Amino acid sequence: MLCSVCTAPVCTNAQVGCHAVSLNNLFDRIIQHSAKMHRVSNDLHQQFELHVLPSRNQVGRGGHICHTSTIMTPNGKENAQRMAREGLTQVILQLLMAWTDPLMNLHHSSTNVSVDMSSMVGELRRGVQRLAEKMHTLGLLTDPDSSVVSPEALMTSHPVPWRLMNLYDILYCFRRDSNKVHNYLRILKCRIVPEHGC
Amino acid sequence: MPLNSPWNPLIIRLSSSKVSPLEPHFTDCVSREQETFRCWWSPGIFQNLSSPGDLRVFYLKKESLSSEWKECPEYIHSNRECFFDRNHTAIWITYCMQLRSQNTRYINEDDCFTVENIVRPDPPVSLNWTLLNVSPSGLSYDVVVIWTPPPSADVRVGWMRIEYEVQYREINTTNWEALEVQPYTKQTIYGLHVGKEYEVHIRCKMQGFSKYGDFSDSIFIQVTDIVTEEPLMFILVLVLGIVGVLILIMLIAITQQHRLMMILLPPVPAPKIKGIDSELLKKGKLDDLNFFLNGGGFGGLPPYAPEFYHDEPWVEFIEVEAEDRDGGGKDDSLTSDTQMLLGLTQTGCHHINLGCSNALGFPNNNLGQTSCYDPAVLEANSLMLMGSLLPGQPEEEEEEEKEAASFNDIKRCPTSAESDENKHNPVQPTWINTDFYAQVSNVMPSGGVVLSPGQHVRTQESSSTTEEETRKKENIIETEEKKQTKLLVVNPEGNGYTVENIRSPPPSTSVSPTEYQTVEPSPMSRSHGNQSANIVPDPPRCQIFTPVADYTVVQELDSHRSLILQPPPPPPPPQQSLPSCVPLKVPIGYITPDLLGSLSP
Repeated sequence: MLCSVCTAPVCTNAQVGCHAVSLNNLFDRIIQHSAKMHRVSNDLHQQFELHVLPSRNQVGRGGHICHTSTIMTPNGKENAQRMAREGLTQVILQLLMAWTDPLMNLHHSSTNVSVDMSSMVGELRRGVQRLAEKMHTLGLLTDPDSSVVSPEALMTSHPVPWRLMNLYDILYCFRRDSNKVHNYLRILKCRIVPEHGC
Repeated sequence: MPLNSPWNPLIIRLSSSKVSPLEPHFTDCVSREQETFRCWWSPGIFQNLSSPGDLRVFYLKKESLSSEWKECPEYIHSNRECFFDRNHTAIWITYCMQLRSQNTRYINEDDCFTVENIVRPDPPVSLNWTLLNVSPSGLSYDVVVIWTPPPSADVRVGWMRIEYEVQYREINTTNWEALEVQPYTKQTIYGLHVGKEYEVHIRCKMQGFSKYGDFSDSIFIQVTDIVTEEPLMFILVLVLGIVGVLILIMLIAITQQHRLMMILLPPVPAPKIKGIDSELLKKGKLDDLNFFLNGGGFGGLPPYAPEFYHDEPWVEFIEVEAEDRDGGGKDDSLTSDTQMLLGLTQTGCHHINLGCSNALGFPNNNLGQTSCYDPAVLEANSLMLMGSLLPGQPEEEEEEEKEAASFNDIKRCPTSAESDENKHNPVQPTWINTDFYAQVSNVMPSGGVVLSPGQHVRTQESSSTTEEETRKKENIIETEEKKQTKLLVVNPEGNGYTVENIRSPPPSTSVSPTEYQTVEPSPMSRSHGNQSANIVPDPPRCQIFTPVADYTVVQELDSHRSLILQPPPPPPPPQQSLPSCVPLKVPIGYITPDLLGSLSP
């Protein structure tokens, strides 16, 4: 269902000075933020490969086990398109939730990584949560069983605790997951508000 | 080596520092749209494994810990290519490739990848360009290149976000100019040169990734000098418009010429000389004019004189001397109008009081001097006067000759008897230098008009001896006579007073223009004595205050339409040496309003 009237105010808390943001605008901001996050993660990974492992080519070695592997994510275009909006939104939120702590730890522990990506992830997560609320308000999210509003329910046990991952794995996995998030957000946007950029 | 693959086989990704391995290996794996991918392999130096089937491709898709190696889902042996379709392609999942021969496994750990990392988008399609603008000099221009995303890349769903890099170069050069990568499907190229041909191509890459696809087919941009035609056309249209407007204005001017002339150049009122028909003047018929002015055969005044008199309170005869032949006529500043009128000039000997050899002699007055009345001279002078009424009018030759003849007479310079005076005192009454026209400043109760001071002339006035003065006086008197006669409309019958002494010269050489003599008409025949009596009798000694007898007051008209002038006041005693001159009361030459009524034709 395409959103035809997507300018409902999001300020449900009756906050003073709260500006109404359109859904299209919200999507654009989120996607921009996600792209930036992906760019940063890509640069980090590349730098790491260039300096730490110069002999490797770009194809990269297989065998990276990410702690987010247990999260069921669509691995193709058809799978992503078949997935409901609620499911996609949930996956996005799950991924973002999973990376907050590892990145925070990475920033604090490793001197090589100066960029605090955890704040980026946190911001993106909040944005997506706002987006989910807005969509729910607009009635775009019809599945009542999806617990998108409560992020705590998204926390699942990881098969591989992230503390066991080395830096290289973290960088690799984060890069991959940021790309996932970015893709999912784009699909969501082009499905709901397909105007600009689709 | 898949030479005929659609992808440029030259793009072989090798290990960053290794040479191509000798054993069988994968040369490249590429995905075009992030939905499928292909891998090519090479047997290496093991050419015995080059035939199809010798080497088999296995892949490992690391979805879970229990993944296993699977064989290539689709072989394209002609290309040594393994194609993975959508069902076998998963994104964000690591694939590891393996080549296996009959009994050997050639595994390279570097051959593991994720599909999103091997995506090289197809080039864009439908390239086109439009002219954006041209520089004012017409030498350079900007174009906008537009295209559509590659059809294989599903941008509409948001599955792929593509960025484009536009490159252009001048034809037959080697260096491409690369513009900044940007995600929109149009790009402006600035600063192309007119007349040169440019080649443009575009390639794509995924946003956030670094692998470019192949270049698109080139398009060619060229702009010739056609752009300069636009201002030319504009100028042409402008010129035609102006020409059309000009033609329209000319047509209007031609058709409405008369009206326009009336509006733009209103007719200037022609100067009117009372009693003179302007047409006559234009035609230059001096004879007729003279005839009219001299009485037109009826004697006395011209036939239209009564009307004339009724209209004007005074009779004013504008009499001007003929043009000075020598001095350039009226423009000669040295000769005033008075001089010209009276025929006295500095240069020429136009004055009249010269020896009148062929003149009739008249008995002298008490001055004992014969004065001449030369009808020929008179007539000539009249002609001169008449001629001078037509300033600038070309006079007929015969009249000119006539006048010249008369001039010759007139030019006769003073006789020896008078030469002395002439030498000493160029016979020109100095008052002659005063302007003929003077402003009336006051009207006397007796009817005289007082003129405001005009030019004082006083020149070669030498305080000669009494004798000289007498002579002068006599000369002057003669001059005056001549002048009077000249100026007057002569009444042949002599009945009554004929003299219309329009002006009677003052007896002395110095004259005050403010004072005039009163000429008293007396029923005397036209005699010298009479005339002399009419001549200004006033103290000639009065250097400064002697009246300017330019005008004579006309008292009345006689039966013959002659103006009867007031006789001048009786001359003062000759011993008067100077000064207190009796100011004349009645200006000469004017008819006072009260006199007008007494005038009758």
